[in-house]
Amino acid sequence: MNDEQIRLQKDVVAEGYGVISAAGYINNEGGQAIADAATELIGRGCGTLLIDLDGTRIINSIGVSILLEIMEKLLEDNGRLAFCNLTPTISKTFEIMGLVQYATIYPDRDAAYSALIGDRSV
Amino acid sequence: MEVVLHLPVVPNVELVAAKAVETVGSALGMDRTRIEATSVAIVEACLNAMEHGGGQMVVRMSTDALGARPSLVIEVEDQGQGFDPELAPRNSASRVHGCTSKRGWGLTLIRELMDEVQIRSNPGRTLVRMRKYVENAP
Repeated sequence: MNDEQIRLQKDVVAEGYGVISAAGYINNEGGQAIADAATELIGRGCGTLLIDLDGTRIINSIGVSILLEIMEKLLEDNGRLAFCNLTPTISKTFEIMGLVQYATIYPDRDAAYSALIGDRSV
Repeated sequence: MEVVLHLPVVPNVELVAAKAVETVGSALGMDRTRIEATSVAIVEACLNAMEHGGGQMVVRMSTDALGARPSLVIEVEDQGQGFDPELAPRNSASRVHGCTSKRGWGLTLIRELMDEVQIRSNPGRTLVRMRKYVENAP
């Protein structure tokens, strides 16, 4: 089960734009790790966050509930949240739980960068 | 084919059940998306059993080849105080948006991700029975 431990990378890729890559099991611990990374990036001036879930294939509702809290925090500050590289099941789960109403879903990171930043070379 | 797991309440034990779904689903020829949907559903059922079940849970998986459409049937049983499934609300995004608590999605996800779901619950025994067909309906 250790291979499901969440692995994170976070970067500011352009002024105001942060990216979190998360691979592994998004449970309460994984969701909280993403939330902590998001809080740090927001504190560094990122009003737009992209969460790349390439490598994440299993989630639970507790972890996704924590992602909902990140989304609401960003919305309160007029920020934006986006996701990319979702499996069909994670995409459906996000749809059921309402994340897609307030966050944008992109097929991959290139598409997200192009739409959010207007630059594929970041 | 039948798999029976007696799972203790320890962190991330639900992943044992999810791994079994992956193994059995692959053997049945399920595609990856159907396996992953079933995995999320069994994770939610196990989390509910751990939270409300009051101890060890039993997970049973079997194949049902009766009829024209083969399927994977999963049962998750616990010994909790039980609940009335008819009164369990379907959660919705509009209900939780802005609320402090965003929990309570387990049964909603199970019902949405699986093809059939039956819940029988009495004091001392709750059984969630789920079915996922190996292939999409023709």
